[in-house]
Amino acid sequence: MAIETETDSSSGRDPERPKGYVVGSAPADAERELSHDEFDPVGTLTVILVYFLILVGMWVFMYFVEFLGNELTVVG
Amino acid sequence: MATYVDRYPDEAGVVKATFAVAFAALGVGALFGLVQALHRTGYLRVIDSTDYYTVLTGHGVLLALVFTIFFLLGLFTWAITRSLERPLPNIKLTWAWFGLTTTGAVFAAVAIVAGLFPSLDMSADVLYTFYAPLQAHPLFYVGLAMFIIGTWIAGVDWFLAYREWRADNPDERIPLQAFMVLTTTLMWYLSTLGVAVSVVVFLIPWSLGFIDTVNPLLTRTLFWYFGHPVVYFWLMPAYMMWYTVLPKLAGGRLFSDPLARVVFVLFLLLSTPVGIHHQYLDPGIAEGFKFIAMTNTMFLLLPSLLTAFTVVASMEHGARQRGGEGYLSWLGALPWRDPAFTGMALAGIMFAAGGFSGMINAGMNINYLVHNTLWVPGHFHLTVGTAVALTMMAGSYWLVPQLTGRRLYSRPIALFQVVLWFVGMVFMSNAMHRAGLLGIPRRTAEPQYQSFDFSATVGSVSELRIQMAVGATLLFVSVVLFLFNVLLSAIEDPIEMPVDDSLPAPLSGADGSPVVLDNLRLWTAIAVVLVVLAYSLPLASIVTDGGLFGESGAFPVFVDAVYRVAGVVA
Repeated sequence: MAIETETDSSSGRDPERPKGYVVGSAPADAERELSHDEFDPVGTLTVILVYFLILVGMWVFMYFVEFLGNELTVVG
Repeated sequence: MATYVDRYPDEAGVVKATFAVAFAALGVGALFGLVQALHRTGYLRVIDSTDYYTVLTGHGVLLALVFTIFFLLGLFTWAITRSLERPLPNIKLTWAWFGLTTTGAVFAAVAIVAGLFPSLDMSADVLYTFYAPLQAHPLFYVGLAMFIIGTWIAGVDWFLAYREWRADNPDERIPLQAFMVLTTTLMWYLSTLGVAVSVVVFLIPWSLGFIDTVNPLLTRTLFWYFGHPVVYFWLMPAYMMWYTVLPKLAGGRLFSDPLARVVFVLFLLLSTPVGIHHQYLDPGIAEGFKFIAMTNTMFLLLPSLLTAFTVVASMEHGARQRGGEGYLSWLGALPWRDPAFTGMALAGIMFAAGGFSGMINAGMNINYLVHNTLWVPGHFHLTVGTAVALTMMAGSYWLVPQLTGRRLYSRPIALFQVVLWFVGMVFMSNAMHRAGLLGIPRRTAEPQYQSFDFSATVGSVSELRIQMAVGATLLFVSVVLFLFNVLLSAIEDPIEMPVDDSLPAPLSGADGSPVVLDNLRLWTAIAVVLVVLAYSLPLASIVTDGGLFGESGAFPVFVDAVYRVAGVVA
């Protein structure tokens, strides 16, 4: 007696699969099939640039918090 | 349409058994974690502070070794059979390694938990990093040795399946999931040599009283020789799911199969010759050797950054196929109501944050700021504690129905569970990182000192403690929900199609990519050379300085000889 809501079946790559509730199948609202050459991952570039900016911001912040005005940490 | 359990009933039985052990360890280990968090923050102290280290050892060993590796054993067994499309060659061998690893894990767990009962005269309060001078009961080391040997036999099992497949398919490219299993296993063979030597040659004889002393720096170095690659042994199953399952869950396809292979080859090459980055503050290892380890570590960032690109691009492909548009608004087109997808995606986000703190840890001089502070547990609770653990839990929602033929008990509870883990870890890990920057130590039952107060630049120490306690409580509730959901799923009625288990082909397949990627012998040989370069001189130097078994005395005088030869050459 499971608790769940009905969702669509997988995105239609296998017509033999029955409709109904299954985990792990994206809803069948695929609007288009994108081949390798049609797909340009600009969104990925954006996400990675955002991550990079966060990284740079944190490194700069760390410089002000941890290093500015402190002595060097001597190695050796 | 049959699912995995219908196609490979014997293997499904083994995978279910490994998952059962993994989830049992997860439950106990999570309880220990809650006890620790509430104890060190001072909100609830149900144990003596002296027992804190017993609980800490149990938490580390049960979660970081037993939970993760048993899940890996099951996942890899599933992956090798489904990708090679053949059952394992000998199911008795499969059950044999399961029996050996389970017995070993139970021995180690018994030795640890016995520490809570003084009358038993047995303990293993050596923390997860089980090197000298802390000494455990021999049962702990024997259990660990059995566990590791069991994983080796599991690797043999997978390679035998591959050999059979290769005999039937001499000209085929290795299927991607099988390739991931094999490269990870090769890395494991190489890296566990260190811990096996440490345990079998030094720690077991020492704990039995056959030898009086060991060289503690040698056992530390041999532990860390294994202690960094083991984190990739936890991570590779998560990566396998991110590469091969997550794109499908997103409604898309893997962006590039060859790039995934490159990543796994890089992990085989670079995971092991970096262990000394855990020893930046160890005296007795020259700075130059530490610098080599740091350089290798920075190279090791590359495969994870490649993964960030490939996995996000694969998710974007799914979102675009489902109508996603724009630079960032495509993120809204992803199936955020699917617990398996959402758990893995949130785990990936946390891994990006863990990557930042990992870069801090990896830098030799910046490491001095955070070494042995609470920052470090903050870091690895993002990586193994979220990237790996949350991916394994989320992946279970998709995998367990394939193993049982029964559908998941509750999707809404599953979704709540993965989000709760994410929220709990945001609180706890953020507070740990900040507390570490204030210098609050890790592995300390009572980090409160008389006539001394830690002072926070932003916020307050008590606010950090509250965040840690609240976060840990949410994490524990999340684990309970997970176990409850999986357990109830196991007693559902079997149905025709409990899960959509098809995996679409990658956008860019292996055909046409360099054949050398599949040359496992070549990559293993290069990996061995890199390890020899990174470790032979430091180990020789440690043995020369401190003796093989801890007696001082120059044995062997290998490094002096190298210096003399170098002087002659120069």
